Amino acid sequence: MKLQHYLGGLEDLGPATFEKRVFVEEWEKGIFGIHTAMMALSPQLPLPATPSTFHTIWTWADLRKGAESLNPFDYFKFRYYEKWLGGISGYFIAHGYITEDELDAKTAEYLADPDKPLPAGGDPAIDQRVEQYLAQGDSPKSDAGPAPVFNKGDTIGVKDVPTIEHTRLPGYLRNHTGVVETVYPGNYGYLCDTGPDGAGPPMPVYCVGFDPQQLWPGNAETNFTIYADLYAVYVTEPDAVPAPVVKAA
Amino acid sequence: MTNRFNYPTDREAHNAARAKALQALLIEKGVITSSTVDTVLQVFETKMGPFNGAKVVARAWVDPAFKERLITDTTAAVAEVDGLPDVMTGAEGEHMRAVANGPGVHNLIICTLCSCYPWPVLGLPPYWYKDPTFRSRAAREPRAVLKEFGLDIPTSTEVKVWDSSAQIRWFVVPERPDGTDGLGEEELAALVTPESMMGVAVATAA
Repeated sequence: MKLQHYLGGLEDLGPATFEKRVFVEEWEKGIFGIHTAMMALSPQLPLPATPSTFHTIWTWADLRKGAESLNPFDYFKFRYYEKWLGGISGYFIAHGYITEDELDAKTAEYLADPDKPLPAGGDPAIDQRVEQYLAQGDSPKSDAGPAPVFNKGDTIGVKDVPTIEHTRLPGYLRNHTGVVETVYPGNYGYLCDTGPDGAGPPMPVYCVGFDPQQLWPGNAETNFTIYADLYAVYVTEPDAVPAPVVKAA
Repeated sequence: MTNRFNYPTDREAHNAARAKALQALLIEKGVITSSTVDTVLQVFETKMGPFNGAKVVARAWVDPAFKERLITDTTAAVAEVDGLPDVMTGAEGEHMRAVANGPGVHNLIICTLCSCYPWPVLGLPPYWYKDPTFRSRAAREPRAVLKEFGLDIPTSTEVKVWDSSAQIRWFVVPERPDGTDGLGEEELAALVTPESMMGVAVATAA
């Protein structure tokens, strides 16, 4: 069990911060740009080849795996883009693009002289592919895979699938029951195979509504429903889970 | 005791130097170019941003049939709005779903697992949306969190919280403010804030 999968519903965290800025430090723009370029240049995408030396897969799933594998104290300790900086630097070191020594040495140079310019150069085809990726996206939709087995209005149970390194099933829903609000047309794959968790190949996705009073009895606000989009592999018959069954409204 | 929560005194200077060092090494090694980061940022300044979502909402306010299509087939409806850039089904907007506020119903978009956000219509997520405290609390006590953000939702109003856990990206169509009958689409769009399109604020007349 990882805290990062069970954030929904945690108590005693104090006030939330209504910070409307996207970036609170100038350097955060750089790591965001690098991450987006990595997604765009990742070799599994059906986009034109470029002279970029990037040759390993990087998707949102890889970024999320990094955040989900952090010590939970570190997850709260580091600001959003600090986590990105750590995860992405670690990826480039682990895959042999750069060494830790190189990164430390270069960091020392920029610490000593923050205004030292970046190196110049690079093939414009690389930036064109980045723009093309942003404009086209990477749709996970597919005609392959099974048909849905539940319909709008059906009560379903949520499995407690094993979690290895990554999931798209929020922890607070596991072993609870909810009511299908929408069966999305077509099937959806996920960015990677999540192993025993089960997401990855194309499958139906259900939008399911849950009663917060069942999720957190006597300890949630009233006159409110929480919905989540659930891959079919996470969903089962309502009597297959331990929680009391919620009837359709 | 560990000193886990002792941050270095030069925390941001070190972060900045490390981010710049990584960018420099990636340029030297041919992974990205010296203009790649700027290219990405430029897209979010000019093509993907809340300025698009505001136009979509304004259209929904003046055209009930469009609003209906926006709710039932969001991605297709967004694509039919004139004057939007050619990125509206691009990254993080391949499949979108809009939900509409109305009398007695208030919607709030969250992502408890990470920070999923509809890039083409809203651009990049602000810090409040990415904050683990917000993500935790909004799932269980949305009215309390909204009140901290300055928005009072009475208990008589139903709250619907949408947790973006799969590949569908969500946004809210806020209610059209009173006293805006004479306004055109462009003036209406100016009233639509990013916060109102995520449900942590409402649109108000200027």
